Amino acid sequence: MASVSEMYDVGWEEMRDKLRKWREDNCRNSEQIVDVGEELISEHASKLGDDIWIIYEQVMIAALDCSRDDLALTCLQELRKQFPDSHRVKRLSGMRLEALERKRKISILKAQGKSAEAIRELNEYLEQFVGDQEAWHELSELYINEHDYGKAAFCLEELMMTNPHNHLYCEQYAEVKYTQGGLENLELSRKYFAQALRLNNRNMRALFGLYMSASHIAASPKVSAKVKKDNMKYAAWAATQINKAYKLAGRGNKENKCSMKAVEEMLESMQITMS
Amino acid sequence: MGEVELSCRAYVKMYLHACLFPRCSINGLLLSSSSAGGAVCVTDCVPLLHSHLPLAPITQLALTQVDVWCSQTQQRIVGYYQANACVSDSSPTPCALKIADKIAEQFDNAVLLMLDGGKMSPDYRVPPIVMYERKDSRWTLKDKHTIMLRQWEETRAIAGQMLESGDHTLLVDFDSHLDDITKDWTNQKLNTKIAELASPANGNI
Repeated sequence: MASVSEMYDVGWEEMRDKLRKWREDNCRNSEQIVDVGEELISEHASKLGDDIWIIYEQVMIAALDCSRDDLALTCLQELRKQFPDSHRVKRLSGMRLEALERKRKISILKAQGKSAEAIRELNEYLEQFVGDQEAWHELSELYINEHDYGKAAFCLEELMMTNPHNHLYCEQYAEVKYTQGGLENLELSRKYFAQALRLNNRNMRALFGLYMSASHIAASPKVSAKVKKDNMKYAAWAATQINKAYKLAGRGNKENKCSMKAVEEMLESMQITMS
Repeated sequence: MGEVELSCRAYVKMYLHACLFPRCSINGLLLSSSSAGGAVCVTDCVPLLHSHLPLAPITQLALTQVDVWCSQTQQRIVGYYQANACVSDSSPTPCALKIADKIAEQFDNAVLLMLDGGKMSPDYRVPPIVMYERKDSRWTLKDKHTIMLRQWEETRAIAGQMLESGDHTLLVDFDSHLDDITKDWTNQKLNTKIAELASPANGNI
């Protein structure tokens, strides 16, 4: 994988300055801090002077947020070596242990099927480690299994905000909205399925989701003629893309003949009921 | 109510599905190629999901597609199966009941089958399944004596053998199909393998 400096064409000083800016602005972008900080530490440690200690602290906290305990531990060990009696370092150490302990507790609760308690613990954990993407996603899954779609949507909104380019979060959010049902949620779901496709035009769930949500909206007696027309267009476009994708998949591939035929007929039959 | 027969093919594929995703809840549809009336013969199954079971869009999509495939192949959807991620709890979840209800709308004698994760190890001699049927609009436990698995010992052996040889990795559920649409959720390859291992008596019901 390309380094940060290669990808963004920056030198170590710019990376160091970026980290400082993020510290001063109290930014929550833990994944970026980890990416930049890890590279800075491993390749340019000697050039950083005394800045390195505050950087270790900053990266350690961001690493905990991203479930990168390996990195968190490395930073912590360097800090311990340099400041063996420091209260501040002891507090960081406690923070790490607490994060690990709480995660372990949550895993156990999940394995025991104690969803309500796991949800409560996870919520408390996220109050402190607000940037932990994995934890937010875990929470969204727990809420989905408890059929609490509103709260699941909230978690996914958090994830979409901090990861605007992630097509999976968009698509999952759209699925939750679709499940909640009702015209407004269907329209939202269609929009987010479309957004997921913009981010990744090969996401089949998003494509099918767009097809189904647009079809349902078009078939609803409550919509205006214009909305009906627009959604029939979206559905027709999606159907074309689906057919294209399956034809491509079927080329020289006898294996999925059955699933191809099923899709073809399904699309045809749904067209008939819509028009 | 009526008798239910579970074929080797259906059982083995359900079992392999559960083994492929041991830490997830999984579900699927039970199919029959026999005509209606008399005992319900579950001759095949289609594995559906291993994530986000309660979410509607993909489930709806899968139900529609399987329906279409069934009408193309003279089969019908006669039931639903699920295995919960938490092995200590094999009771049907609200989403299981919902989907089973939908199936029951189209087929009176629909069955709801829960795989009991706690009883799937080789030490257990009895099929790790719990079946429910619809009585007075509620899903009630089926009498064990009305559930038949012919050649159970052989079926169990085949399931175990295929798991050991890693054949469960060949299984494609609808979720995996959506990740890669060149994969076949009707699992023809796996069906062939099962048929090869089964004796003629256990072959096609």
